[in-house]
Amino acid sequence: MSKETNRVLGHADESDGIEEYDNPLPDWWLGLFWFTIIWAFGYGIHYHFIANRSQESELAAEMAAADARWPTQAEAMAAALSEFAVTAEAVTAGEAIFTQYCVACHSADLSGGIGPSFLDEEWVHGGQAADILRTITEGVPDKGMVPWGGILSPEQINQVGAYVMSKHSEATGRSIEDIVAAGAPSA
Amino acid sequence: MEQSTSGTVATPASRPDYDMDIVKKFFTATVVWGIVGMLVGVVIALQLAWRPANLGLPWTTFGRLRPLHTNAVVFAFGGNVVFTGIYHSMQRLLKTRMWNDTLSRIHFWGWQLIIVAAAVTLPLGLTQSKEYAELIWPIDVAITLVWVVFAVNFFATVAIRKVEHMYVAIWFYMSFVITIAVLHIVNSLVIPATLFRSYPIYAGLTDALVQWWYGHNAVGFFLTTPFLGLMYYYLPRAADRPVYSYRLSIIHFWALVFLYIWAGPHHLLYSALPDWAQTLGMVFSIMLIAPSWGGMLNGLLTLKGAWDRVRTDPILKFMVVAVSFYGMSTFEGPMMSIRAVNGLAHYTNWVIGHVHSGALGWVGMISFGMLYWMVQNIWNRPLAYPSWASHHFWLATIGIVIYTVAMWAAGLMEGLQWRALDDAGRLANPIFLDITHRLNPFLWLRVVGGSMYLVGAVMMGINFWKTIRGPSAPAGARVEGV
Ligand code: HEC
Ligand code: HEM
Ligand code: HEM
Repeated sequence: MSKETNRVLGHADESDGIEEYDNPLPDWWLGLFWFTIIWAFGYGIHYHFIANRSQESELAAEMAAADARWPTQAEAMAAALSEFAVTAEAVTAGEAIFTQYCVACHSADLSGGIGPSFLDEEWVHGGQAADILRTITEGVPDKGMVPWGGILSPEQINQVGAYVMSKHSEATGRSIEDIVAAGAPSA
Repeated sequence: MEQSTSGTVATPASRPDYDMDIVKKFFTATVVWGIVGMLVGVVIALQLAWRPANLGLPWTTFGRLRPLHTNAVVFAFGGNVVFTGIYHSMQRLLKTRMWNDTLSRIHFWGWQLIIVAAAVTLPLGLTQSKEYAELIWPIDVAITLVWVVFAVNFFATVAIRKVEHMYVAIWFYMSFVITIAVLHIVNSLVIPATLFRSYPIYAGLTDALVQWWYGHNAVGFFLTTPFLGLMYYYLPRAADRPVYSYRLSIIHFWALVFLYIWAGPHHLLYSALPDWAQTLGMVFSIMLIAPSWGGMLNGLLTLKGAWDRVRTDPILKFMVVAVSFYGMSTFEGPMMSIRAVNGLAHYTNWVIGHVHSGALGWVGMISFGMLYWMVQNIWNRPLAYPSWASHHFWLATIGIVIYTVAMWAAGLMEGLQWRALDDAGRLANPIFLDITHRLNPFLWLRVVGGSMYLVGAVMMGINFWKTIRGPSAPAGARVEGV
């Protein structure tokens, strides 16, 4: 701004008395303007033609990094399933989880609401332990059942699953052994 | 009698050839709608912090009052401020009365009726659901007609001007009149089904792109260029200083209007919009920094040599803070247009903080400065309570700081918590509602900051009321600066 002249242009007569100086553009301002223009071209060319980036490739890279860092859900589920058991501790821990996350849709006594009841014989997505745990993990997003796999740990899913199964068993008389029985899932 | 020696000498009232009545009309409407719009702002801020304030009635819920707030502050307050300033300054700058007084009045009453129609339909839930273009098609048609009336009167006045050279403020006003007409018409094209309902002619992605081309340029050509025009007239008048650089004013004007139009896609980053269009929105936003700062620089440097008065004169204080917030929000905006930054900021309260640093800081403060200057000059009276103007200034400034800092903190917090993962790669905050609850202290802070801003505006209203009804200054006497 050293080149300031502070010389008035003499337009005041034509602008209601407001004078204007004929000062030049501040150098740093002009520099900033040119810098952003050059940067704009540089960024655009780099993004699209040199690095060949896109939001799809950004997503793919992020997912690949996540897969490398954390075991995929299917593996984690399979690992958790092999440890699954309906024990008293699991049921107690599961009740707390159920109260926090599930009652809004399945109601406190498990008789259902937005989501179905667990106290009857019917299972939409299969009634074996493996089915139930899978439904909880993967959810049914289209119908409003949350995929809990991204929210609860495999251990917590085992616990809340154990709670649901024990209540189901109490209400229907179906034995825990039958529910947990190995073999092909029923659906 | 020109008043080139002192910015606060009252003369316009003694220039009978200018239509000052229309200026006074718009002035009054500005103050009234400003207070109403900000009051609704405080109400919706309270509703977000404290749910019972929704009252459990459909008409008073947040969802219906929010568009009422945005329409009231942007189009009722902002619109009337701009019209007040345009009708006042353009007659003087062009040395001619408005071309047609009847058109001026159709413009005034038409605009106020549109505002009333908006205030009735929005709480009733009648909406087109496009942000800042919510109003249903019959009102859109009315806006178009009233705008044409205004534009005809405006350009006819330009045509009959008694000066050759057009001052830079007029250029900014012109860009406003033309661009808003184009934006409004293109974005509001619908096929009416019933009196209250219509279907947009665009679908899907096209609809989104047209909407944010409109939305962004509503910011650019409703909340920015006309207000820069006002700054170019009222700031040098109030400071009684020459504009720092004529050349800068021309270059930044053309750069601004050219670049703004392309930046809309920064509202649609990481969406179905093609990557190249997203890049376009981002880089044009970055290129907007310097042209925007050109306006800030010309404002601040014009005050060079008047800094002693800036410390004591509330009018100049309002203007300095306004121009500073303008510079701040036009740096923040381009930063938020960067893909990675937007990924964090989008959908969070950070955007709300950005909006209000521009809206409260720039639009609000430059308007207050102009109104305090004008009330004394067009009614030819000193302010009834000069010290209240200072109190208003501090209430507003501290209110803005509280509001925006609370929103930045809230926005960063929720943005970071949404994406945070734990050691096992699961969401660290799986329950969305938990994060929402954690925002509450910040939402209450906003109620506090917003209320301070509102109280200041109400004090201004009372001050003006008393001033206008008070005794006028003796003929030819100098009205003391506040
Ligand atoms: C937002 C509501 C909602 C919440 C919260 C919710 N569910 Fe569900 N759930 C549903 C809906 C709806 C269905 C039915 C899906 C269908 O019909 O396909 C369902 C189905 C199920 C099923 C399968 C039932 C069957 O018949 O196959 C299980 C098991 C289940 N939920 C367990 C849980 C557990 C455990 C939790 C808590 C961790 C939970 N749900 C939380 C809505 C919810
Ligand atoms: C008393 C002062 C004000 C308060 C308390 C206030 C409060 C609010 C609130 C609570 C919202 C909704 C935020 C959300 O949805 O999360 C909002 C939105 C908005 N306000 Fe204000 N406001 C005030 C003044 C203004 C002024 C003066 C303007 C403009 C000149 C303005 C322009 C806007 C805009 C454009 C939005 C929409 C923002 C978006 O969708 O991103 N506000 N305001
Ligand atoms: C160079 C200048 C500016 C740029 C590049 C810019 C950029 C942005 C960006 C990137 C967003 C966020 C979009 C999103 O993620 O949803 C935004 C929102 C917004 N900005 Fe700016 N901004 C600028 C100046 C301003 C100014 C001065 C104002 C006010 C006077 C303003 C008002 C708004 C409003 C109202 C929104 C909210 C839009 C919505 O409803 O979502 N901006 N701006």
